[in-house]
Amino acid sequence: MIFDTVKQSLSSQRVLIPVEQLLTDVQGSRMPDVQPSLLTAEIARRAVDACPTTALTLEETDGRTQLVLNYADCIACGRCIEAGAGAFVAARKLTCCGVAKSGLVRRWDVASGAEIASGEREMENTAREIRSLLGRALNIREVDTGSCNGCEAEIVAMTNPYYDLERFGIHFVASPKHADMLLVTGPVTRNMVEAVRQTYAATPSPKLVVAVGACGCSGGIFAGSHATAGPLDAIIPVDGYIPGCPPTPAMLLSGILQVLQRRS
Amino acid sequence: MNATLSQPHEAVDPLKLLRRPGVRLVSIFGSLDEDGSRRVHYAVDIDNRQYRIVSIPGEGAIASATPITPAAAWYERELHDQYGVAIEGHPDLRPLLFHDNWAEDVHPMTAGFEKVPPGTRAPYRFLKVEGEGVCEVPVGPVHAGIIEPGHFRFSVVGDTVLNLELRHFYTHKGTEKLFENMPIADGCLIAESVSGDNCFAHAVAYSQAMENSFGVAVPARGRALRLIGLELERMTAHIADVGALCGDVGFTVPAAYTARIKESLLLASTRFFRTRFWRGVAVPGGVTIDLATADAAELKRIVAEAARDFDELAKIILETPSVQNRFESTGVLARDVARNLAVVGLVARASGLKLDVRRDHPYGRYREFPTEIAHHSQGDVLARARIRIDETAISARLIADTLSEMPSGAIRTSIPADANAEGYSAVESPRGELFYWVRVRNGRIARCHIKSPSFQNWPALPLAMPGNIIADFPLINKSFNLSYSGCDR
Repeated sequence: MIFDTVKQSLSSQRVLIPVEQLLTDVQGSRMPDVQPSLLTAEIARRAVDACPTTALTLEETDGRTQLVLNYADCIACGRCIEAGAGAFVAARKLTCCGVAKSGLVRRWDVASGAEIASGEREMENTAREIRSLLGRALNIREVDTGSCNGCEAEIVAMTNPYYDLERFGIHFVASPKHADMLLVTGPVTRNMVEAVRQTYAATPSPKLVVAVGACGCSGGIFAGSHATAGPLDAIIPVDGYIPGCPPTPAMLLSGILQVLQRRS
Repeated sequence: MNATLSQPHEAVDPLKLLRRPGVRLVSIFGSLDEDGSRRVHYAVDIDNRQYRIVSIPGEGAIASATPITPAAAWYERELHDQYGVAIEGHPDLRPLLFHDNWAEDVHPMTAGFEKVPPGTRAPYRFLKVEGEGVCEVPVGPVHAGIIEPGHFRFSVVGDTVLNLELRHFYTHKGTEKLFENMPIADGCLIAESVSGDNCFAHAVAYSQAMENSFGVAVPARGRALRLIGLELERMTAHIADVGALCGDVGFTVPAAYTARIKESLLLASTRFFRTRFWRGVAVPGGVTIDLATADAAELKRIVAEAARDFDELAKIILETPSVQNRFESTGVLARDVARNLAVVGLVARASGLKLDVRRDHPYGRYREFPTEIAHHSQGDVLARARIRIDETAISARLIADTLSEMPSGAIRTSIPADANAEGYSAVESPRGELFYWVRVRNGRIARCHIKSPSFQNWPALPLAMPGNIIADFPLINKSFNLSYSGCDR
């Protein structure tokens, strides 16, 4: 029987997606992007009003209005895309996975439509230290601090034959004691705070912490609930952020690789 | 029927109703009246044909329903935690939602609650199993796999489990409270985040509850698209679960193969609906994304191919002796235990209980034809695997039939913006009966209660464990595959 299975899998078509195709790909995530040429004050206002979180805001600086898009707060509901008359579109490629928190924020001058350079990417000593010690091999412990399990579904999908995380020498391990990186989902519920702190303490240094999903980055739709205590970076130090609700396997993979390779 | 409430507060003794044969408890939940006083609602299913909700005042002490039906135990503990309702005669009122780092006497759903005060409460007391050679094995909340957090306390002699106690609600996010004062449209965003892998079932159940409340009918094409989404979600879940069961017995090749089939369906959803999990597709009044006529044939082909590949693989899995050896007679949930705990979904159907909301309380497109139901009676891991295999084939047929006869026209209608209403809806999610009860005041959500199949089924898992070895727990747990977040909310 086992031979039938092996035969079947060997005869089937290869589905592995090349890494170049995965990096920065965000299709299927419904994360928004802005088409600067179509942006007007009216459309920006409509999109900001349609946003159910604080992901889209307008800021006045020196008499000019800026549209601010913070991917940390974005739950990918698609409402700005619906309201944005073509100026807001479902992004195909984004470089916001695995960056520092400031790298999740983008700004546009509403009048001219021009994008204003985004936040600095911070120098990460820890990332360099781990890279110098391990090359690209990496052990990840996944920690769910109260997610809806959407992020877990996508993290598991990273190991399927399309994405094949193991090709990069990256493995999921069963204990924080074996981990170089904690991949953390969820808004950190009050009931999980202690477990999160203990898991972090049990992970040997040097270690990396990556916050995953809108909940991991900002608390997402659960921010402000009486039963949550997060976001994650209020509880333990975080090295990189992967936004999305949930982030797709391509975004997770891009983010993990980005955190490992990040330079100043 | 799956419909609007004509009489929101029927004057019937709920305990008398629960004693009647053929009555299954669906949920017990609280709400606040206009003056802030508490009310307790009992939702039941009579003879698998008719939902009924009766309500009583919750200001004085109420008599516990748990001695009549043990299925009430967790609901009453939750009611006590959320609303502080005094419940007389409950055998176990330990805190369910709140752990030791919550102050005593916090009841977030009561009038005037603002925030959780600082403080702690007395340490939780686990049941103690005593005797020569009895050891306790605590597992979780952080588990070894990529799964959600929860705590399992095993009492074992050698490898054999004598007792398993659950301590869950690590993922409790106060979700029902978050719905309060939300616009109707935004409630959908929360519903989608209750249990991410069943997010479409949640969005549809929430939307239908609103549609039933306002007496709004979704256009035929919208109903058809919802069926496609619901059955795709079921296929995806079942295929992944069967793969995970293979993974748990070390049969990794089929596990990888199922992961591949699952991904092919998620990629198809991305291609045709621009979303992997159908988030944002269901809204009160219909759906937001239409399927291009030209794409219907291609989607049909992909679904048929996935179903065919999975069917071939399933034959290999079920005929493999090492799989049979591990699946058969492992983790048996007896039929009477399942019935006493009012277990729902595929777990019920694997233990000989014929329950399926699609057949018993048809909604949307399912009203137009009788739904075929998979059914087994052994109640073991094998039966739960077989149900998933059978149901995947049925789902694929439902999708193919629907795609062949897609109604034309609108996919969405509007919901009144500024009104008062109350109603409920049930959906057969991949895990079973998902029940939403909503109350709207001036166009905003006043209350939304979610009965998730996982909340109902978790208490049954420990009763499938005694006599099994602890090493089989991951397999048995996986065969139930309950959602922690869906349960904890």
